[in-house]
Amino acid sequence: MIIKRYAESALRIIFGSQIDMEVHEKVRRAFFLLISLHRVDIIEIIPSFCSCLVIYDDDMTSYETLADLLRERLADLSAVEMPPPQIHEIPVHYGDDYGPDLSFVAKHCHLDISEVIERHCAELYTVFTVGFTPGFPYLGTLDESIAAPRLETPRTRIPAGSVGIAQLQTGIYPFESPAGWRIIGRTDIRLFDPARPPYSLMQIGDKVRFIEER
Amino acid sequence: MTPAITVRNPGLFSLIVDLGRTGFGAVGVPASSALDRYACQALYSLLDCANAPILEVIGPRFALQFDADVVCAIAGAKVKAFLDDTPLRPWASFQAKRGSLLRVKEITEGFRYYIGFAGKIKAEAVMGSYTTNIECRFGGLNGAALKSGDILHLEESREMETNIIPLNLIPPMNSPHILRVIEGPEADAFTADSCRHFWEKGCHELFTVSTNLNRTGIRLEGTPLVFKPEAAKSIVSEGIVSGTVQIPGDGLPIIQLHERTIGGYARVAVIARADQDRLAHLKAGDLVCFERIAVEEGEHLWMEKQKRLAKLLSPTGSV
Repeated sequence: MIIKRYAESALRIIFGSQIDMEVHEKVRRAFFLLISLHRVDIIEIIPSFCSCLVIYDDDMTSYETLADLLRERLADLSAVEMPPPQIHEIPVHYGDDYGPDLSFVAKHCHLDISEVIERHCAELYTVFTVGFTPGFPYLGTLDESIAAPRLETPRTRIPAGSVGIAQLQTGIYPFESPAGWRIIGRTDIRLFDPARPPYSLMQIGDKVRFIEER
Repeated sequence: MTPAITVRNPGLFSLIVDLGRTGFGAVGVPASSALDRYACQALYSLLDCANAPILEVIGPRFALQFDADVVCAIAGAKVKAFLDDTPLRPWASFQAKRGSLLRVKEITEGFRYYIGFAGKIKAEAVMGSYTTNIECRFGGLNGAALKSGDILHLEESREMETNIIPLNLIPPMNSPHILRVIEGPEADAFTADSCRHFWEKGCHELFTVSTNLNRTGIRLEGTPLVFKPEAAKSIVSEGIVSGTVQIPGDGLPIIQLHERTIGGYARVAVIARADQDRLAHLKAGDLVCFERIAVEEGEHLWMEKQKRLAKLLSPTGSV
């Protein structure tokens, strides 16, 4: 675990540098432990693949004080209480207008379109984190044989429910939004409801399986 | 009866904002706050209405009609505004009489201006904030931008003395914008030469604000930053703070505002917290350059800004 400062009032607690289940497990434990501290000087905790970003109130604490405290409190992650992961099944329309980049991915990976779909549906993915837009699950780990790079210039608008891939990640855009990932399909499932706690369908540690809808 | 304020013209784009949503970053909910939080706080000070919903507006021709006497104020971009035929002073509160029409004719400096009222606009509080998440359509007035004919109901409306923010507490908002930055987590991904051009004093690269800008981010045009040959062009997605400058594969900077919690592009720098309100006033065609400072300098600048804010917030003491 390394703690690094990020601008004036945030720090990153880093557990690794690759998408990896072992790193994820540490991030997840650290996240739930950070929540359990109920610290008033911590404003936001944003867990992701390899780190927890902590935004703090610099009127109440300093980087040095908080980093020292967190180093001590996070030293032992073995006995953290966590909610059990939920399993979500997500039906997806692949290709055509729903997934404009499916054929690019197939070509890039030297596979048939049907093979890309099959491999995308074969994994039980882990929600490594939720973000980008509210409720967006970052899922891994993608089968290496269907990995594709992000777009060099992101699209300014894609429809809600779009399913994208980028390197070894896959995810679902809950809202109409800009997108830098390769879009391979779309789902009708609602991923975020601002009127109902806990707001997001998924949280860190949940599991997801995609099912091809024909 | 609560006073009703009718939107006669929403300008180019206007919406309800406040100081933002916090505490839901783990499920990707961003702050979506007023982009110029200092101007927002100036209104709170002028109108003694901390944390109330206010209006953030872009463009001329914005117009409001009042069906009752209401105390209002304008801050942010400097505008030529009129209450019926009476010119209004920027960064000041004023008394709007029943039946009067507030019109903004021209913006003379800056981009976004803010209008607040002595009272509380009836708006939807979502996850602890009135601010509009325009992309996801929640908060504010039905999650949407204001449109002609919308009616703002003002609860707890009250009489109060009008007041002004002194000139020395109004920040400059015109192009060129010199933005101080702190080194970001992936600054190492870029060649030394390209970093020097990006942020060293004396060899500033000038960037131009592109037309690709909104409340989420600002894309700049200019000389692209150059990735080191061994550096990855994107990172494993990670949490970001407001004001992070990300560099996608094409090398051209994107300044993230208050609408994203996670990013996947190399984070070359972060706009100093004290300079982030200025981002509200970057408009297409404006010139921007960056100046690197140490994180301690960033802290110091923020403390100085907090002092100016405290002056704003001391009741009547500032006039």
